[in-house]
Amino acid sequence: MAEIASSALIRFEDVGKSYDGGQSFAVRHVSFQIAKGETLVLLGSSGSGKSTLLKMINGLIAPSHGAVTVRDRSGQQLQSVQMRRSIGYVSQGIALFPFMRVWENVALPLRLAGLPIEERKRKATEALRLVELPEGVEDRLPSELSGGQQQRVGVARALVTGTDILLMDEPFGALDAITRESLQAEVARLKEKLGVTIVFVTHDLFEALALADRIVVMHEGNMEQIGTADEMLHQPATDFVRELFEKPAKLLKVGGRA
Amino acid sequence: MSGFWQMVQNRSPDLLERLLEHLKLAGIATLIAIAVGVPMGVLALRSKPARSALLGLTSVLQTVPSLALLTFLLPFFGIGATPAIIALVLYALLPIVRNTYTGLTGTPPAMLEMADALGLTRFQRLLMIESRFAAPMIMAGVRTAATVSIGIATLSAFVGAGGLGAFINRGLSLNNMDLVLLGAVPAGLLALYADWVLGVLENGLKPGHKNGPLMAQGFGAVVVGVFAFGWLYINAKSYSPQIVEKKGGRIVVGSKNFTEQFILAEIIAQALEAKTDLNVVRKLNLAGTAVCHQALLSGDIDLYPEYTGTALLSVLKVPAPPNGEDAWDEAKKGYQEQYNLDWITPFGFANTYALAVRSQDAERHGWKSITDLQPDAAHLKAGFTAEFRERDDGYPGLAKKYGFKFGKAVDMEPSLMYQAIKESQVDVISAFSTDGRIAAYDLALLEDNDHFFPPYDAGIVIRQQTLTAHPEVAEVLADLSGKLDEAKMQQLNLAVDRDKRRPKDVAKAFLEEIGLR
Repeated sequence: MAEIASSALIRFEDVGKSYDGGQSFAVRHVSFQIAKGETLVLLGSSGSGKSTLLKMINGLIAPSHGAVTVRDRSGQQLQSVQMRRSIGYVSQGIALFPFMRVWENVALPLRLAGLPIEERKRKATEALRLVELPEGVEDRLPSELSGGQQQRVGVARALVTGTDILLMDEPFGALDAITRESLQAEVARLKEKLGVTIVFVTHDLFEALALADRIVVMHEGNMEQIGTADEMLHQPATDFVRELFEKPAKLLKVGGRA
Repeated sequence: MSGFWQMVQNRSPDLLERLLEHLKLAGIATLIAIAVGVPMGVLALRSKPARSALLGLTSVLQTVPSLALLTFLLPFFGIGATPAIIALVLYALLPIVRNTYTGLTGTPPAMLEMADALGLTRFQRLLMIESRFAAPMIMAGVRTAATVSIGIATLSAFVGAGGLGAFINRGLSLNNMDLVLLGAVPAGLLALYADWVLGVLENGLKPGHKNGPLMAQGFGAVVVGVFAFGWLYINAKSYSPQIVEKKGGRIVVGSKNFTEQFILAEIIAQALEAKTDLNVVRKLNLAGTAVCHQALLSGDIDLYPEYTGTALLSVLKVPAPPNGEDAWDEAKKGYQEQYNLDWITPFGFANTYALAVRSQDAERHGWKSITDLQPDAAHLKAGFTAEFRERDDGYPGLAKKYGFKFGKAVDMEPSLMYQAIKESQVDVISAFSTDGRIAAYDLALLEDNDHFFPPYDAGIVIRQQTLTAHPEVAEVLADLSGKLDEAKMQQLNLAVDRDKRRPKDVAKAFLEEIGLR
């Protein structure tokens, strides 16, 4: 663990989030670290607190106790616009602005950074090619694209500034299985190419297995276990984790999925 | 209807001018309402106390009757476009403030979260995202505001702001339906047109709209607008007389809103046009004594026809002497001392209040004077103008002096009052002694045997400054002194009220008759 701690990009220290003055908890006493270049998947069912943890990284949600540290910044600093502009974010609802053309959506972070329009358009086009969208989509409206294409645009927008941190909140949840798999492959490829640190939220175990360097299993606000897929399969820390991984373990035994 | 169509063609220069005035009033008011209302909507979004205050205030403003609001604004802003535009803005605020607020709260939460995650500041979020989601809703508010403004702008004519309402008012005063329609129909069409054009814009702001049908609609709107306006413009040019701008200064002639005033104002205006180098501007049809007096004091008008009794009782608020000459001297002195205004040109007739009944009733019951009504008063229904109902020299004073009241008394608009007595809806009305309709509707005036009604000799009230700056005005107008009497005035009024001749033409014929043209 020592080498991970030294290169940790994001740290959670005894982090909790409560609502109604402590009546209900979204997250309790969670501590872990994310290394530079790592793909960490936050895995859990809805209401497990995984999205809450993700949104603490770019300050959309502030912890009730404990500290979240990103690039040695924490607390109020995470809510500054400068900090947010430096972290890519892809949301479940895609959230492309319907009145902006595709390239304008992608270039919005560049506009906030004050780049001239020519450069914005050039970089946005590059980012769209990076996520393998065909030429010609730039000038369309988001509503004219398929769901999978829209989410690729969302990824391009998150990457256009050349960020080193990419947050993805169940980005492919609403897509069909085939599109989802092709986008998962895309994320893996981008990660290889760009070396970006990815924090990925999902409720889909297979998606977690496909993408994760390490997995954090969340259950009812508690962190059940952190580790590689292998560790979870072979040394589950809790009954919950064991039961969760039983199904793929069986599949792996019959060689259905490697 | 053919009469109406004829009028549209004949009066197209007038119509064009009024239409443009109307557009200007409603347009400026809507633009100001947007400039003020949208920031108010933003403020309502940001602060809860501001929200209650702003939404409450703008709602309350809606409940104030437009005429009351206009009258209230008069002492502060005089007459003309300013009070009209202020009133229109106040009415247009509610839809804009409310729709801005509602529109801004309508941004989907996922979009707001993404805007925050992308690092937009609050202001950038408002400007680039929330306002854009709110735009169709705000545009819908603007659309409502614009159509409402076009409707209410018809009332602006009451304070001399012009617009299409001028036709409506004058038509009502002259009981001329074609003239009412000449204002009402274009105003209605204009409102529909604005609704159409702004509706196209509103749809264009909705995300995911189809461009094709919208372009077609927009194109259609432009074509219809260009055709309608072009037709009116060409017509107006072909009917428009050549107006020669004179070198002299400018003089503004005002009038109240009834037939006799229109005729007198036209007589004055045309005499000045014929005999001086001044450019004569007409601001006729002002809503009553108070409006005219304010306009005179603020210099919005230079002169208007007035009656001594009204001046003494309503303006100076002193009792009027029974003798006509005393009343004239007293009014002149009071105006000179208190308002720096002067009385000139006694026309030679008095237009006093009088009670009128149907001639056949008068014969049957033997009514000759007001006192004769006393035995039957409890069974009689009276129709009085609102002014007569309230004024001390009207019904309250009359009832006191003669010691009886009528069984029932209702407020009526002057032209409807004559209609009502003719059709036996009422039995007694408050008439003016020079009203042409007395003869036309076969009514009899009752003698004021106790000399209750003060003298109402007609003359001209004029600003001292105007007399000093243009001494020729007094000279020209002096020639009109004593040129009228009650019978003559009744005849001129009748020519307008019954024969539907224009006050302008009646005045012209009169001036030719007395050799002043």
